[in-house]
Amino acid sequence: MAKIDDTGNTKRGYTSRGIKFPYSVKVSFPGHLEYIPAIRKFIAELLQVSNFNSKFAYRSEIIVDEICNNAVTYGCRNENSTIELSNTIFEDRIEFDIQDQGGTREDLKRLKRAINTKIEETPDTTRQGGLGLEIVRTLSERLDVVIDEKNLTSVHVVRKREDERDESEAST
Amino acid sequence: MSFEKGKMSGMSLRHPPETGTVMGSSVNIEIREVPRSDGVVILHFIGDLISDSVKQINECISGVIAKSKNYAIVDLSESNTISSAALGEFMGCRKRLVEKGGDLVFTGLKLEMRTKLNLMGATKIFRIHSDIRTAINAYKWDIERQPEKIHVSFPPYLKIVPPLRQLVSRIARQKGYGNRDSFRIETIVDEICNNAVEHGKSGPDEMIDLIVIIDPDKIEIDVRNMSDPEKIESLTAQLLPENSKHHKSKPDVKRGRGLTLIKMLSDELSVECTEQGTSVRVKKVREE
Repeated sequence: MAKIDDTGNTKRGYTSRGIKFPYSVKVSFPGHLEYIPAIRKFIAELLQVSNFNSKFAYRSEIIVDEICNNAVTYGCRNENSTIELSNTIFEDRIEFDIQDQGGTREDLKRLKRAINTKIEETPDTTRQGGLGLEIVRTLSERLDVVIDEKNLTSVHVVRKREDERDESEAST
Repeated sequence: MSFEKGKMSGMSLRHPPETGTVMGSSVNIEIREVPRSDGVVILHFIGDLISDSVKQINECISGVIAKSKNYAIVDLSESNTISSAALGEFMGCRKRLVEKGGDLVFTGLKLEMRTKLNLMGATKIFRIHSDIRTAINAYKWDIERQPEKIHVSFPPYLKIVPPLRQLVSRIARQKGYGNRDSFRIETIVDEICNNAVEHGKSGPDEMIDLIVIIDPDKIEIDVRNMSDPEKIESLTAQLLPENSKHHKSKPDVKRGRGLTLIKMLSDELSVECTEQGTSVRVKKVREE
């Protein structure tokens, strides 16, 4: 590892620039499922270099996986659709914004149904779909879904750092 | 996704329609075309594929080839059985399509049928896709060799570069590039992004754009950043050809080898450096 001298420069010559919060990383990728594993890993690694713990990174990875899967499955009507994922990383939280190019009427109906219903106390085992958003809801502090007049869907998710909670859980 | 779809009955099996339904004794075949993908045809088999279906399958594929289609997506979402005779016929049909530069792929398989095909070793021969759209994407990638674009916009922090290089490397591997190619791509991304952070403007709003365009034969990487007027001289000095010779003659020089390394690992390198911004474009042809 390069050592930092008094002027803040590394011996290798790179300026030792720490990460300043908040910052944003935007990723735009084709609406194909095969891109999702690489994207979710990228976000997890991004969180780890931003000093979030591995548990937080892994849970955020699951959120990314679910929202990207939904965007690709229900929001890409044609083969050339792209998905835009914006990640804003704060010291205490991460905010995801994902936009797709809108699905069919049936897709949007299913999406709206999934947003408006919560899993019942006795879950319906025959139920298909809608569980992804439920997982996101469980793992996040906030979940907003906006469908505009052109049927473009954007999902906003906020997940807060839970280090303190983890430590208290560990001590008990 | 929308497909041109129609229903026809009583069609001659010798000349199946471009779009329609071919009725048979054991199985009906719904034929659909895909807009903007001329070579693709979707064959939706409704019913069980038993030995009586062999002739029907053969004639259907003959009709597909006669219509200059070379990529058949066989949708088996409404089939519960596939006999070994039918599977053998699909193998023969696939061979004919491969000779025309195309393929025959399966989609919509139920778990039970997928397990059976796996046990029979058919999954080593046929490509199986989860849904029709994935199969069409595979056609666009494999046959049309259509490039795909990934765009990442990030602030100039060195810590972000390792996740970025991993991202591009993982995508390359996912798209079928070998380990050696992927590692070289990773090194190229690392060097260009490090240079962009080091020589570009600093601050969370001075975003760097990484654009990756990948196709089955090559990958193009373009990194654009805002130039820092204070650092532009050091960067342009590095780009001068005499300076690269200088590094070769002086092995104790520890800096400025990044671009030389990129030149070694890539097939094309171009750098545009102005006061407005810097753009580094690298093209790497797939070797493996």
